[in-house]
Amino acid sequence: MDYALEVKDLVKRYGRRTVLDRFSLAVPEFSSVGLVGPNGAGKTTFMMTVVGFVQPTSGDINLLGNGPFSAEVHSGRISILPQDSELPLEGKPQELLEQYGILQGLSARDARLSAAELLKAVNLSDRADSQIRTLSHGMRKRVMVAQCFVGFPELVLLDEPLSGLDPLEVSRMRAFIQSRRGRQTIVISSHNLHDIEILCTHVVMIDRGRVTRFEEMERLTEVGDRLVYKLTAVPGDLEVLKDAVPGLTLKWYPNDNSLVCVFSDSGMAPEKINAALLPILLKQTGVLSISQGSSLEAAYLKEPV
Amino acid sequence: MWHLTQIWRVAVYELRDAVRSRRAIVVLALYLVAAVGCMYGSISLLGRLEADLAKMLQLPASQKTGVVSTTLWKSKPFQHMVRGAVRDDMVYNDIVGKHPVELIYAWFTLTYAPLLVILVAGNRIADDVRSGAVRYMISRVSRGCWSCGKFAGQALMIGLALAAGTIGAYITARIRLYSAAGSYDLLLPMFNWSFRAWVYSFAYLGMALGVSHLTRSGSKATALGILVMALFALVPACCDFFAEPVGWQSYLPQLAQLVPGGHKSSISRSSLPVFIHASLFLIALGGCYLSAGFWFFRKRDC
Repeated sequence: MDYALEVKDLVKRYGRRTVLDRFSLAVPEFSSVGLVGPNGAGKTTFMMTVVGFVQPTSGDINLLGNGPFSAEVHSGRISILPQDSELPLEGKPQELLEQYGILQGLSARDARLSAAELLKAVNLSDRADSQIRTLSHGMRKRVMVAQCFVGFPELVLLDEPLSGLDPLEVSRMRAFIQSRRGRQTIVISSHNLHDIEILCTHVVMIDRGRVTRFEEMERLTEVGDRLVYKLTAVPGDLEVLKDAVPGLTLKWYPNDNSLVCVFSDSGMAPEKINAALLPILLKQTGVLSISQGSSLEAAYLKEPV
Repeated sequence: MWHLTQIWRVAVYELRDAVRSRRAIVVLALYLVAAVGCMYGSISLLGRLEADLAKMLQLPASQKTGVVSTTLWKSKPFQHMVRGAVRDDMVYNDIVGKHPVELIYAWFTLTYAPLLVILVAGNRIADDVRSGAVRYMISRVSRGCWSCGKFAGQALMIGLALAAGTIGAYITARIRLYSAAGSYDLLLPMFNWSFRAWVYSFAYLGMALGVSHLTRSGSKATALGILVMALFALVPACCDFFAEPVGWQSYLPQLAQLVPGGHKSSISRSSLPVFIHASLFLIALGGCYLSAGFWFFRKRDC
């Protein structure tokens, strides 16, 4: 497998405080990876170190197979949405994006087209020629996200790309990022696990500067393994349900009134299991919802810290 | 080639950004007002001196400022007196025959160009680091190209400011001064002095941007720049004062060469080799100051 980003034993210390502690990670090409973890876990420092904003204390970084970040090698191939970084206030969105494109090596024409296309994608065409200082926080954020995609870089690092956006813009921005999935390698850091679940194919859990888990989203949320039934009350007889589909494992969680059905060993498709279980369940209790796997949030909270 | 192209692109961007910066516009406007004010004030003073002189000599007073002083300046006894006063043939040859207003403008622009540089450029790098705007650039160009591009962009900006000041001062002189009215003979010499001041300002620009690499606060960077500029002004004076023909004090004049002020008189000379030598030295000094700041910045977390 080819990796867009490989990091091995990365350490970053600020005095006595260790922010990244032998951080190792390999991000497959064209994957979308979500970084999750508590505040101060090292997500932002990791991203900043990858693009050379922060100098690592030790460790190896390999970006797109060309070693650590060097503008000469990686300009235009890697981009970042840095956290808490203002755009130049006197600049204008169209002009800034064009400028960034030209610095990345695009021709003036391509940079202009790319800038216009991206501003349209983030719903800012009408403010393309307004000064940044006149834009709202959310609008500025959209320009910041747009600048990451100028020139179609191979690796895009997004630090909290959806924070500060209104719900409608969050939805648009999600769709925009999703449209890039599978065509570019995208690394997203966010505290919003719902966003990560929607946008990412892989999840990296980070705690105290270390990777505690790196998993495919489907495996982590067990989408291909289990069905979760939200019920109105405990089913009368679990044994009857078990007998209906051999090989199933059923477990009742009274705290959230959910019945978890692990079907990976049964060899049956989820729709067949539903067809067999639902008539019996409905006789015993009320069914509120059925979902495949658990949410990322549930999986994350289950993770030992 | 890649580096030069990137430096040029950053410079163009920096110039565009600087021209729109409120602070730069205010400082530029102040410089323009100061240039015009200086010209207006000095011509008024010249007019009063001429009136006093005419009164003393019991001559009819002229309404046209500049006639008396130009005639006086060209008279052999006065030139002889000036030669005696400056006691240096090279300096004498440089100033003789020059219009007094040209000399006043030369003094103004060489004195205030460094301050203009510190006020316009002192905060540029520190502010970008503080706001995080630098991150959008150094993920696309190397830190070295970015710093050099900033230098080049600010040099262009200072050039524009000096040119604007020259035009303002020239228009004032043309309106107020008899001997300049109706002719363009002062315009080129004034631009010549602006060019010299521009070259002189490179060293200060290198210093201002070098200092700006060291801090995240634009105001602190500007204050530090002003402080260093004041120190730079003291060095040649102290070196001159304490210099001795023998001992370690004999090296003090060489020490003065390490600050821009040590080259101020050379940059003003008419002799082309002297001017080129001083220019190269000033550009090298600017490069050294900038490199010193960049050395700290190149590995700095930002």
